[in-house]
Amino acid sequence: MNYWQEFVKGIWKKNPILILGIGMCPTLAVTTSVSNALWMTMATTMVLVCSNILVSLVKGFVPGHIRIPIFITIIATFVTVVELTLNAFQPAVYKALGIFIPLIVVNCIILGRAEEFASKNSIILSVFDGIGMGLGFGVTLFVLAFVREILGANKLFGLTLIPGMQPSSAMIIAPGAFFTLGLMLWGMNYINSRKKD
Amino acid sequence: MNNIVKPAIILALVAFVSSMVLSHIKKITYPSILKQEKEKQERALAIVLPGYTVGEQKNLTLDGTDFTYWPAEKDESGKMIKGYAFIASSPGYSGQVVSMVGVDDRDTILGMSILQQSETPGLGARSIEVASSSTFFGTIFGNNRGAREETRPWFQLQFTGLNAKNKINIVKKGDWNEALKDELASQNAVSAITGATITSRATIKGIEKAIGLLHTALERETVEAAGKVTNQGGAR
Repeated sequence: MNYWQEFVKGIWKKNPILILGIGMCPTLAVTTSVSNALWMTMATTMVLVCSNILVSLVKGFVPGHIRIPIFITIIATFVTVVELTLNAFQPAVYKALGIFIPLIVVNCIILGRAEEFASKNSIILSVFDGIGMGLGFGVTLFVLAFVREILGANKLFGLTLIPGMQPSSAMIIAPGAFFTLGLMLWGMNYINSRKKD
Repeated sequence: MNNIVKPAIILALVAFVSSMVLSHIKKITYPSILKQEKEKQERALAIVLPGYTVGEQKNLTLDGTDFTYWPAEKDESGKMIKGYAFIASSPGYSGQVVSMVGVDDRDTILGMSILQQSETPGLGARSIEVASSSTFFGTIFGNNRGAREETRPWFQLQFTGLNAKNKINIVKKGDWNEALKDELASQNAVSAITGATITSRATIKGIEKAIGLLHTALERETVEAAGKVTNQGGAR
């Protein structure tokens, strides 16, 4: 039951983007298309789960005052592994995501989970936490990218929806991401406030 | 003392393990990355110089800028026609727009291909968008028969046939289509990407700059070749 809770909390109750408010940079930048969002989710979740496992593994040996540099080294290593692998075997994805792959290093979700959760909990719990948080990140990114790709590019999965229609380019640039994210936050807070009553 | 030495050792150990892991991963992925880069370049050369036999790559520095070009030849009914491919680069809206351009000996563009760009997705990044008439619902319901598939981005296709030595103009007529072809050709112009005139202009600027460099490089080559011949003549 405890495992299940640690897993599902990332999707709604402690959604990294909508509730914790971290990891905004990739959220706003890569959600121009659904496929970008899905690849970003996969890369981030991969790094998140691996770093959670390792941080949880070394938590006994790491002196408190140098934990941050050690966590960052671990995270940066996994990010570079993911980056090289994508470059070698998925060049199109590597090209589409560009600078945002190396920037996973500074994604606050990963360091945040290492610091807040993995360094205090067991390996198995940390894995569940990592997958749950990754899923929460992914669902948010997917919804955002779904709205933005349909309205901003008149496309879905790179395929045109209505031939000949001119899409709204405001949705594809940063303001469109803020509008959509704001509406999502409003919706989430509305539902949560109704629940309490 | 223990407060300094122990953390330092632990940190060094972590860094050591991490660099060991990375060097192994790099070793595994490197051949594949290298192969892809080479394939990408060969594919681009085949696009910009269709039918030509491409010679060796030449790198040189002219007036402080690096310039890369490839001489090429084509056998057209017994006559050898010369052509050149070169790299053009110019700052776009965000970062360099790097393209490869092929020209014949009269500076007519035979083809161009954008190799690298980091423009805004949905606007400037449409410079590498391939026009497709297949739709989402069409793909789902399987009635995409008759849909025309281009293999190359429409923005880049427009450059074929233009004269690089003359000024390339920009017109704002929206996405390129077959009907615009004659009008654009008569004006030596391309139709800009809607909402991304900066990207379109950067691409053209890069080509204009690079064609000048190509001519400087070729002139220098002729002078050097002539110099060599006279030197050899003198030695004899």
